[in-house]
Amino acid sequence: MDMSKYKALFLTEAGEHLQKMAAQLVKVEAEPGNRSGIDALFREAHSIKGMAASMGYLRMAELAHHLEDSLDQFRQLGQISAEAIDYLLGGVDLLELLLEDIDADREERSLEDFLNSGQRPPAARPSAENLSQIPVPTLPDSPADSGSGPAAEEKKIEIRLKLDEKVASPAARLLVILHRLATLGKLLHSEPSQDQILRGGVVRHLNIVIETQRPEKEIQSCLKQYSEIASLEVAAPVARSNVQDATSGDTTVRVGTDLLDRFISLTGELITNRYMLQSAAGEKDWGAMKEGLGRLARLVKDLHHQVLQVRMMPIATVTGRLPRLVRDLARKSDKEVRLELEGTGLELDRAILEALADPLIHLVRNAIDHGIDRQGVVTVRAWRQRDQVMLQVADDGKGMDPAQLRQTAVKKGLISPAQAEAMRDYDALQLVCLPGFSTATQVTDTSGRGVGMDVVKAAVEKLGGVLHIDAALGRGTRFTLKLPLSVAIIKVLLIQVEGKQVALPITRVLQTIEVARNQIQTSGKQRVFSHHEELLPLISLRKILNLAIPKPAEFVSVVVTEVLGRKIGLVVDSFAGQAEVFVQKVASPVDRLRGLGGGTILGDGRIVFILDIQGLLERRR
Amino acid sequence: MASRVLIVDDALFMRNLLRDILSGAGYTIVGEAADGLEGQKKYLELKPDLVTMDIVMPERSGIEALQDILARDAEATVVMCSALGQESMVMEALQKGAKDFIVKPFQADQVLEVVRRVIG
Repeated sequence: MDMSKYKALFLTEAGEHLQKMAAQLVKVEAEPGNRSGIDALFREAHSIKGMAASMGYLRMAELAHHLEDSLDQFRQLGQISAEAIDYLLGGVDLLELLLEDIDADREERSLEDFLNSGQRPPAARPSAENLSQIPVPTLPDSPADSGSGPAAEEKKIEIRLKLDEKVASPAARLLVILHRLATLGKLLHSEPSQDQILRGGVVRHLNIVIETQRPEKEIQSCLKQYSEIASLEVAAPVARSNVQDATSGDTTVRVGTDLLDRFISLTGELITNRYMLQSAAGEKDWGAMKEGLGRLARLVKDLHHQVLQVRMMPIATVTGRLPRLVRDLARKSDKEVRLELEGTGLELDRAILEALADPLIHLVRNAIDHGIDRQGVVTVRAWRQRDQVMLQVADDGKGMDPAQLRQTAVKKGLISPAQAEAMRDYDALQLVCLPGFSTATQVTDTSGRGVGMDVVKAAVEKLGGVLHIDAALGRGTRFTLKLPLSVAIIKVLLIQVEGKQVALPITRVLQTIEVARNQIQTSGKQRVFSHHEELLPLISLRKILNLAIPKPAEFVSVVVTEVLGRKIGLVVDSFAGQAEVFVQKVASPVDRLRGLGGGTILGDGRIVFILDIQGLLERRR
Repeated sequence: MASRVLIVDDALFMRNLLRDILSGAGYTIVGEAADGLEGQKKYLELKPDLVTMDIVMPERSGIEALQDILARDAEATVVMCSALGQESMVMEALQKGAKDFIVKPFQADQVLEVVRRVIG
């Protein structure tokens, strides 16, 4: 059997299991008697072993098996010692390295050093005997063998399902499903158990492992008969192979079958819609045509929504590594740090999450290095605010001193003394994002890695997001990232300038206002206006774009936006409304123009460019 | 051949409703019973492919009738009809061998989904 197609999935899943293991180990370290935690660790190691063995990655399987063995002993003891946690974390690290080897198509590295490191808890000495017990199916010798296995082989299938919120008597419904599955195979595990279900109450999730001869397709189609099931995953463990993977460059996304079904049904509706429109056009029936178009609009909107769903992943996929990171950093710097995660179940576009992984780690490092003194709490929380997601890294440490920040910035020549004086405290805090700014007097092992706050800010803004910093001396610092849900489709403000339209991502717009001419003052050469008791510089978009500047009207249209942590008023000809647009990259060589954030095609066919104000202003300097 | 159904419910309204839903979908209603005792007698007499069984009924309850029917014909396909709040009774019936259940107030598509599921 050709296993190469499973490799990408294996890499993703094994990586997830390893992350969970590391996080769980840190958790168990805090509560050594946490039995359910130890059980969970055992299950993770067990899953990794099974997957690796199935794929034919023998060293990885051997190591996972060894960890599983150790964990089994701790499970019986009911607790894990601190040394054992170190040892097990070392094992998880090695598993990650093995995973990298596999990803890079290298030979898996040796386990010898680890297994002979002598640190191993005495309870868990692997013997040649138990290593040979790894249940690895024998590999077919030739491709001809691969299809000739016994037709009806018992295999395990894992089923996860969730009932629709509206289902009446959910416990009874789960019981029906459980009974039905029992007719298809042997139930090995059920969570909740049948007894728990029989106690009734609101249970909607069911995770089952069943041993059966039937193909998972059959089980799937059996469960498909239950419209009460809102989401369903049926997965068979993969079988093994040592075939090299030719497609390891591809990234894979796991998509729930319910979502795929919705795509299929939407496609069906679109086809029906096409026939309806065709016949309406043929008969010149404008009423039917209009109705058909309305329907088409709804279907496309629905499709758009569903497609975006495929790209969404929980924030937990990037915060998963944090517990381990915090533990290691705290140890190294001899501080007592607790990490709290909130709202990490929220989902974001995977492209955004990928771009956030490093900035997030940097912010957490910063919090531990510069924020927390001896002991404290780092909180990473996410929440939804209208159509944006807020992600915040906060600590309860020293906070930041605006006066000191001003001083440092002046000393480094980043701003002039006069600028420093005029700067409000909030703006002074944003100074840490200037390239070349670092308040750390010494480079630490953890923060001094060349990634500065400027890189974090740039990463956030590249995603169309905004970074806010606020701090209170002695009470802590908060870095708040305001992020769009998706990068591909964004809301923009359409702006009119010299008869043309350009667009600004709505996330960059703080406010749009009409400013009366008599409210505009000048300060030196700079025109300014008062906005919420704050003088903001006015910058003309025409001027930036080298267009003629007409005589000022009675009122000017101003977009209040933020550039490099400073608020400015951008003067435009007029506002032309908001739109939801699909952002496309502009092709080379136009993409090299700074200040151009992409392009989009509006409903009427017009091409509109999306402006990157920061890039435009930098170009001007 | 159309599947044959026996409806057991003490309320005429419910029987009529189920009759309309099921016969509208092509099933043959071979009989009706207004209590559990009558239900189990008619089952032996008619040997239907499916019984829809109300739970709370005079004479013998739906669960008692279910047990009696299954004791005589282990292959019998019985679907319970329940109202909201009767979950524990439904689960008891399921443990005793009922194949599925439908919840009042009946909705045609839900009733038919359950019936198709159990008798194909």
